[in-house]
Amino acid sequence: MTPDAIPAPGWRLAIRPQAMAQRRGRRLGRGVLGHGVLLALSFVCLFPIYWMVVTSLRPANAIFETTLWPSAASLANYRYTLNAIPVAQMLGNTLVVALLVTAIQLLTALLAAFAFARWRFTGDRLVFALVALTWLVPFQVVMIPNFLLVAQLGLLDSLTALVLPHFASALAVMLLTQAIRAFPQEVIEAAHMDGASSWRLLWQVLVPNLGGSLASLAILIFISTWNEYFWPLLLSRTPENSVIQIGIQMFMSAEGNQWGPLMAASTMASVPILAFYLVLQRQVVQSFMQSGLR
Amino acid sequence: MAMQRRHLLAGLATAATGLLPPRPAIAAFAAAGIDHPVQINFYNYNLATAGLGADATRKLLREFMRANPNIKVNGVGVPVTGFTARVQADLAAHRQVDLIQLGFGDLDFAVHSLGAKALEDLIPAPELAANFAGIAPNGLKLGMLDGKTYGLAYTFSTPVLFYNADLFRAAGLNPDQPPLTWAEVKQAALTIKAKTGKGGLATGILGPSAFDWLFQGVVRSNGGETISRDRKTMKFAAPEAVEAVAMLRDLNDSGAMANLDVNAAMEAMAAGDMGMYLQTSAVQGFIVAGAKDKFDLRASTMPSFGAKKVRPNNSGSALILLATDPVLQRAAWELMKFLTSKRGYTIITSEIGYLPLRTDIVDDPQYLGEWVKTHPLVQPNLKQLAVLEPWDAMPGPNYRQIVKTMMDAVELAVTGKVDVAATLLAAQQTTQAMLPK
Repeated sequence: MTPDAIPAPGWRLAIRPQAMAQRRGRRLGRGVLGHGVLLALSFVCLFPIYWMVVTSLRPANAIFETTLWPSAASLANYRYTLNAIPVAQMLGNTLVVALLVTAIQLLTALLAAFAFARWRFTGDRLVFALVALTWLVPFQVVMIPNFLLVAQLGLLDSLTALVLPHFASALAVMLLTQAIRAFPQEVIEAAHMDGASSWRLLWQVLVPNLGGSLASLAILIFISTWNEYFWPLLLSRTPENSVIQIGIQMFMSAEGNQWGPLMAASTMASVPILAFYLVLQRQVVQSFMQSGLR
Repeated sequence: MAMQRRHLLAGLATAATGLLPPRPAIAAFAAAGIDHPVQINFYNYNLATAGLGADATRKLLREFMRANPNIKVNGVGVPVTGFTARVQADLAAHRQVDLIQLGFGDLDFAVHSLGAKALEDLIPAPELAANFAGIAPNGLKLGMLDGKTYGLAYTFSTPVLFYNADLFRAAGLNPDQPPLTWAEVKQAALTIKAKTGKGGLATGILGPSAFDWLFQGVVRSNGGETISRDRKTMKFAAPEAVEAVAMLRDLNDSGAMANLDVNAAMEAMAAGDMGMYLQTSAVQGFIVAGAKDKFDLRASTMPSFGAKKVRPNNSGSALILLATDPVLQRAAWELMKFLTSKRGYTIITSEIGYLPLRTDIVDDPQYLGEWVKTHPLVQPNLKQLAVLEPWDAMPGPNYRQIVKTMMDAVELAVTGKVDVAATLLAAQQTTQAMLPK
């Protein structure tokens, strides 16, 4: 390095604001870029929903128009859909099934996860591994045996049969086991020292503090149950005892899909899911934040 | 997604086969009459939709039950994509399945795996003959297998060349003289493409949900066949079939035929972006809805190979009787008779959009006479009834795999850069091994 390469103190003072300005510029550039990416991703996520709603407003002879707003928007597809299938009843059925499955799976998973996380017993790892392995078995594999059992129980075409095979979820058990294991030991030990039983520890210490995990798991279970198709397809005999996914499918046929009513039904089916997410959104974000900080 | 669902359900169907209870091969005659109330289950895929097919089917069932107060029909709606899987699952669960609406391509499977009953084994010959009187002889053959009638054509149709007359005019073509041969179709398609910038031709021959029904008609129209008459030898690599596939390859390579999925092709036609579209007339309602107030939709018969006779086969479904109890068999047969009666076909044709098996109702003002006058698109369909041939159902439990392997090879030969003859021959050898020994 040559001596004249060493900047004088004054020079250094002069360069500082310039470097800061450059850093600010880079930060701003990164911010703009980041927001640009976020905007693009938001567009990718939201545009199909917008297109679904817009298509539901188009008449049959304009269904393939590519204008951003229909030339003759109408609610005719919604009226047709409401007359063609029992939308309200199907949505109600789907809601009941999704809520029941969510509640039952959370309960069974919570109890199993507490046992796996808190107690050591012979073969506990093996049992946990077996539970985890069932996660890898697709439901479709056990669908026919389940169907035969449900038929023998005389439960075909009933909401009970839609809930019955979904009492336990390996994914839920694994996620909650992980969440309970990560719970601060000091708090649990303090509760024990205060004489809390396992039952009390679970419901009065753990559950109130696992709100985020439980909420995000509830959303996962609720949405996957809401979107369930194969099992209701096999079980349902009448639209009145079926779920909305089967109702949406009724607008599809080999003779051509009825896109307008199909999109109207899909829009109506999406509303409860969006509402459910909006209600629990804060907990989900909190849950992600907590897991990120850990 | 639809393809995955179909494969999955086909897999489930195969899995359920082993669970089916033994089905009697030969049944005694059905009961002579019904003197007490009974209920039969009719598995129907139109009822699983929210379209006109469901409304018309419910209307048919209502009329039948009014006329036959002792027979209650429970219509069970089953989506067409998982139909056989559901029927198998229900049979395995010992559910009462009396009558089904099943695609003709599943006929062999219905006979050998679902326990379909031959009508000749159940119904006295004079009664059967009396009911068959007036039915187009070609139509009766559609549901026959090994010389017996297992299925009565119910909602069926023929391949029709839909065309956009406005695009014909814009391209300088005469819409009153639609192309009749494949060579003319190619020429017209290239002209439309060059002059209008729109698509020339789309077909429903290829694609995951196309099955083989339209392909069979194309091969047959060139003097070939996909399987031998005794259904023991696959023949879709024979010279006539190779020539037919090479013609499709030429359409593809020249740009005359758009390489579109079945649904995309149908939607392109309905949107007015396609000059011609060869597909079952069953999709007519969908295309008419798109064309309304937008463009002049017309239809012609399936194209021929030069001067060779066009030999189309049907698409659609048959009524197949599965009931095992003689009284329920009688009830199911009575329903079959009504659904394929003059009144039945009048509703099926005018309200769902399929073809009447009884051609004498076409000009009868009491039935379809007035309707046919105001619906000219049905004419090419009716014209083809006279030359209609059965859709060959592939035999054995591997029938779906045979069709898929064959159609995958055809698609590769048409849209790929492979040698047509060699590709078809390799697939033919593969499928030959899948046939029952």
